[in-house]
Amino acid sequence: MQLLWQILVNGVLLGGLYALMALGLVLVWGVLNIVNLAHGALIMLGAYACYYLFTGFGLDPFAALPVAMVLLFCLGYLIQRHVLNLVIRAPMFNTLLITFGLEVVITFLAQITFSADFRTVNPSYAGANFVLLGATVPLVRLLAFGVALGLTFALWLFLDHTGIGRAIRATAQNLTAARLYGVNPRRLYALTFGIGAALAGAAGALYGVVSQINPYIGSSLTGKSFAIAIIGGLEKSIYVLVGGLFLGIVEALTALYIGPTYTDVVSFGILVLVLIVRPTGLLGRTA
Amino acid sequence: MDAILEVRSLTKRFHGVVAIDNVTFTLERNKILGLIGPNGAGKTTLVSLVSGTLEPTNGSVLFEGALIHQLPAYRRGLLGIARTFQVMRPFPGLTVVDNVAVGALFGAANGSHKLSGAQEEAHRWLKFVGLDHRAAQRADALGGPDRKRLELAKALAMRPKLLLLDEVMAGLNHVEIEEVISIIKKVRDQGISIVVIEHVMKAIQSLSDQLLVLHHGEKIAEGKPEDVLSKDEVITAYLGRKRS
Amino acid sequence: MKLGLKLALAALVVGLLATVPWWGSPVMVQFGINALILATLAQSWNIIGGYTGYPSFGNSVFYGLGGYGVAIAMVQFHLPFAVGLLLGVFLAVLFAFLLGLPVLRLRGHYFAIATLGLAEVMTAIVSNLEIAGRNVGLILPLLKGDTVFFELSLALLAVTTITVAWISRSRFGFGLIAIRENEEAAAVMAVNTTLYKILAFALCSAFAAIAGGIHAYWITYLDPSSAFDITLNVKMIIMAVFGGAGTIFGPVLGAFALSAISEILASKVTSLASIFFGLVIVAAVVFMPRGFADLVRRFRQQRWRYFQENIKAHRV
Repeated sequence: MQLLWQILVNGVLLGGLYALMALGLVLVWGVLNIVNLAHGALIMLGAYACYYLFTGFGLDPFAALPVAMVLLFCLGYLIQRHVLNLVIRAPMFNTLLITFGLEVVITFLAQITFSADFRTVNPSYAGANFVLLGATVPLVRLLAFGVALGLTFALWLFLDHTGIGRAIRATAQNLTAARLYGVNPRRLYALTFGIGAALAGAAGALYGVVSQINPYIGSSLTGKSFAIAIIGGLEKSIYVLVGGLFLGIVEALTALYIGPTYTDVVSFGILVLVLIVRPTGLLGRTA
Repeated sequence: MDAILEVRSLTKRFHGVVAIDNVTFTLERNKILGLIGPNGAGKTTLVSLVSGTLEPTNGSVLFEGALIHQLPAYRRGLLGIARTFQVMRPFPGLTVVDNVAVGALFGAANGSHKLSGAQEEAHRWLKFVGLDHRAAQRADALGGPDRKRLELAKALAMRPKLLLLDEVMAGLNHVEIEEVISIIKKVRDQGISIVVIEHVMKAIQSLSDQLLVLHHGEKIAEGKPEDVLSKDEVITAYLGRKRS
Repeated sequence: MKLGLKLALAALVVGLLATVPWWGSPVMVQFGINALILATLAQSWNIIGGYTGYPSFGNSVFYGLGGYGVAIAMVQFHLPFAVGLLLGVFLAVLFAFLLGLPVLRLRGHYFAIATLGLAEVMTAIVSNLEIAGRNVGLILPLLKGDTVFFELSLALLAVTTITVAWISRSRFGFGLIAIRENEEAAAVMAVNTTLYKILAFALCSAFAAIAGGIHAYWITYLDPSSAFDITLNVKMIIMAVFGGAGTIFGPVLGAFALSAISEILASKVTSLASIFFGLVIVAAVVFMPRGFADLVRRFRQQRWRYFQENIKAHRV
């Protein structure tokens, strides 16, 4: 029983991070209709940005996180503005292919720049724990969970309560109408993709603190983000939170009761099941 | 009475909206049934329920005495039901003749299963509807009236026993309408039973043996054209007020 | 050019290629084997993606199942290679039927994601199976000499391409194309869309499985991540689309062209094949999204404006 509680706590903490990982993907998918196969690569870059800020400048990872976000935002903005924008009205299939191409390029550049070694961000307080109702909660994981929730909430605030956020939502629903209201689609699309990349960067920074990173984690993180996005449902950003928590808990339970090597089987198995049975996600309205 | 199509208490609900409400009617073999009603009355939905594009919520459809409302669309095609679509559904990347050849290859129980034979048949049907001169063009290069002809040829190539036509005359001029009317009559003369959805009143009157009027998914009138069209309910449904 | 003439020409090319192991350098032969296998994969994808219009991102599963069929049969049961191939094909086709049924009901990118998910699931499952050597993988017996593998791969590509040629002129193929062009209309015109989709999926699974089996035996080593290499999916799609999806020879040309380009660029700056491959994909999708065949056809009229037109049509 005690063990189960610990597992659940682990799952929830992981789930928050997972939700943040998928958030950027869902935003970009919903607004630009781009299914970004390079999303995991952006997460990976965020992790490395945080790592080098930490080891190079001694910046605490949680302070480096905003910096990583800004860096990834700029990268995302440029990628969308100058590359992805060229194919945005093509069939979605084309964006799948082109983002894959970008993933290959980014991963490769990361490999020759950062080398293939595993790395971890280890702040001084990395080993600190405290106990919550009998479960051990590592401080970094709790902080990561907090940041993830905070950013999810911040995105919701941004989309619902700021002018730009509402412009983004309007464009997602009706590009022609939004244009009539003076929205500049090119800049707006680039901005949105930049935000998605920034969120990915944040997730990556947090990931680097709680787990090991190397240049190749991109593709499996993309897959995981997809699973979360689909399982939760694409309609609202809050659904991503549910998807992330769900997957985090399921993976923790799987690791305990079936075996840690089976987590991928279960995660992706659920993804396929959800697609077959309820494509709009656990929470989405049936079409 | 030899009924080729029987619809019994057919109902279709979409998320709480009742599109077809307890409709019952019969179509005799080799007759033409005109299906009319104001926009949104459910005419296309009814045709989709018969062709298998949609499944009913309640009720049944019988074709030549056999229950078919649980069968998938392709099985109904094999049995001899063909339809046209109001929003036209060509195969855009294929040529006009290949579009029709699909119908000849798959729809006809006694049709050709070889590509060359099917294409020959396709040419014959294209000539029948007056579209053979465009046989080699891509289907998406056709204009409106020609697309309607293509829809018709595709359905005919299936050698159906029951043909469901959904507004094949919309957007045509008088001359073209007369052509389509004569084509439909020729089809009926070949022994095919037809359901025609149409807004062009003169055409419906001259074609139909029976009329069925739908309004808000309900059958509000049925019978001979001259009787039905003079009924108050029908006029009100269309015009919204009584004719003085 | 009439189909008959094209096929005769192709037969000639196949005959010429078959002689390569006797006069080509070892590097060339190895390049050839890789390219031939990739071409087979692209061509098999062509059946479900190009002709039927269902862009599967999971054909790597069939490739992996083929590889593991051969590996398990030869390593665990000491059966000959041919039996291994049969096992691999059996597994792949079974998978295609069982999982094709629910997954082929999905459309567009949902189908793509579902197949991608399936590929990930299979990788994860196999890496837990004892008989497959878990994560460590299996080491196959060595067959010396690349010639056998070259000829086998060539023969496989030829058979796959002949099958695609038959499909393009058959009633079955017309049904697939109808499904691609307008699935609802096809159903109403009495095409049994469910059956046809599954048959197409099963057909492409068989060819992909044999390709995987040959490749596994050739490199004598198999582990989950290389057998079910997810990047293979996009490679085969890009090659098929680049060369011309829905055509008979397009995927073959695309596979050879892309392989050659990557190889040439890589040899100039060593080991950078990956990055050039990625850059080529990006460039191809931007400048010639409808593939090489379309480029050739329209280049005569439009010249360099062709590339401009593509961008203008697709950007905001």
